Amino acid sequence: MSASHDIHHHPDEALLLAYAAGTADEATSLVVATHMHFCVLCRMQGRTLESLGGAMLDELTPAPLAGDALQNTLARLDQVTPYERPRRAASRDGTPAVLRTYLGGDLRDVRWRRMGPRLSFVELFRRRDVTVRLLRGVPGADSGAHSHAGAELTLVLKGGYTDVTGNYGPGDFQIADAGLVHNTVADPGEDCINLSVTHGALRFEKLLQKIAGPFFGF
Amino acid sequence: MRRPEGVIHGLFTPLGGGRIKLLIHPGLLCVISAMVAHAQRVLSRFPVPAIRRTAKLLRFPLKMTRPAEALEMDALLVRVAQCQDRAAFAALFAYFAPRVKAYLLRLGAPSATAEDLAQEALLNLWRKAHLFDPQKASAATWLFTIARNLRIDALRREKRPEFDPQDLMPEAGPDADAAISQQDGEGRLRLALKTLPPDQIAVIELSYFADKPHSEIAGELDIPLGTVKSRLRLAMARLKQALGEMP
Repeated sequence: MSASHDIHHHPDEALLLAYAAGTADEATSLVVATHMHFCVLCRMQGRTLESLGGAMLDELTPAPLAGDALQNTLARLDQVTPYERPRRAASRDGTPAVLRTYLGGDLRDVRWRRMGPRLSFVELFRRRDVTVRLLRGVPGADSGAHSHAGAELTLVLKGGYTDVTGNYGPGDFQIADAGLVHNTVADPGEDCINLSVTHGALRFEKLLQKIAGPFFGF
Repeated sequence: MRRPEGVIHGLFTPLGGGRIKLLIHPGLLCVISAMVAHAQRVLSRFPVPAIRRTAKLLRFPLKMTRPAEALEMDALLVRVAQCQDRAAFAALFAYFAPRVKAYLLRLGAPSATAEDLAQEALLNLWRKAHLFDPQKASAATWLFTIARNLRIDALRREKRPEFDPQDLMPEAGPDADAAISQQDGEGRLRLALKTLPPDQIAVIELSYFADKPHSEIAGELDIPLGTVKSRLRLAMARLKQALGEMP
């Protein structure tokens, strides 16, 4: 799962900044962090934005602590243990570590839920109106034309897809704003697997999907 | 529009911390330091070893672009990492704990919580000091990431997904040049920040301190979301230019 092709589509400045500043919700953070696994440019920009956070912290007017705060903290130094980075089991198929935490394993172990002959999905988690899913389509599979109640963020993990806005391959990041109506079609070759974050329900154009969608939690 | 407190704005930047203090306009300093940084990059690739050594000397003026206090904090943190120096820790605490508390208060934490978490952040600094690499980030940046993660964990009760640096393909990692310029880059970044127009600074400040999505920040500033995003884009282009990255 290396970023063998060039990445053409990135999160915008607002998303990268919200991630670096720590104000993005967990779902958005997950899809941005997974993109960063693939994208050296966004990793560099992320570091720049953290430096900016350091500068902002430096410039804040200090808020004094209670008089005994330092003494209390010094007294606690002996009780803390040095931090050790958690050891993670190695992935067998190159699944990004940040994503493995949410899958509980590798991509190839995912138990897909079928939704018709060509599409399957699995829901990772849901917070208020935000849903995080993995979506999978065989080559040529289409999602059906749909729009969104809120923004939809999509990161390609494997394969690729095409819609009215362009072509997306591994590591590419699509921001579909609420207004966009699009039909994504999986590219020829291997199955297309995406990490998707949706705000609110999808709005399908076809009657059949309108009826079936809610049964699958879309 | 309300002007947030602690605005990074000054007509002049003080240079040097000792007996001699030079006041210089940040815009001018920005241009000079970008030129010095460029000269350093060119010289460090020169085929003659003697000239490559000269490039190292140029790092000194670049370091001067950061406040003396900030440089001192980096050294103190290294001392904590190397020999668990408690005096160094106390100095770091005196500088950073009130700033972390201010940061948490700005983000809406109750005063008692901000006080507790500021101490917690400094305890984390003690626990993780051995992971600090002054080549990669300043002490302020490092502590910012600690405070940020602590807040998400304690106040939002969420996790913050992070990519694992050890999990990346080797060829995808940034080269050594990038790591070196990162350290000097922080000084230039701060200078460039001072040259941004107030409307761009306001958007950046709210991005760090408001804990709101940009759509709500737009509402608060009474401007369209597109304007917020374009201000961020312009600001980022300027900052990246100051760091010598591609705009």
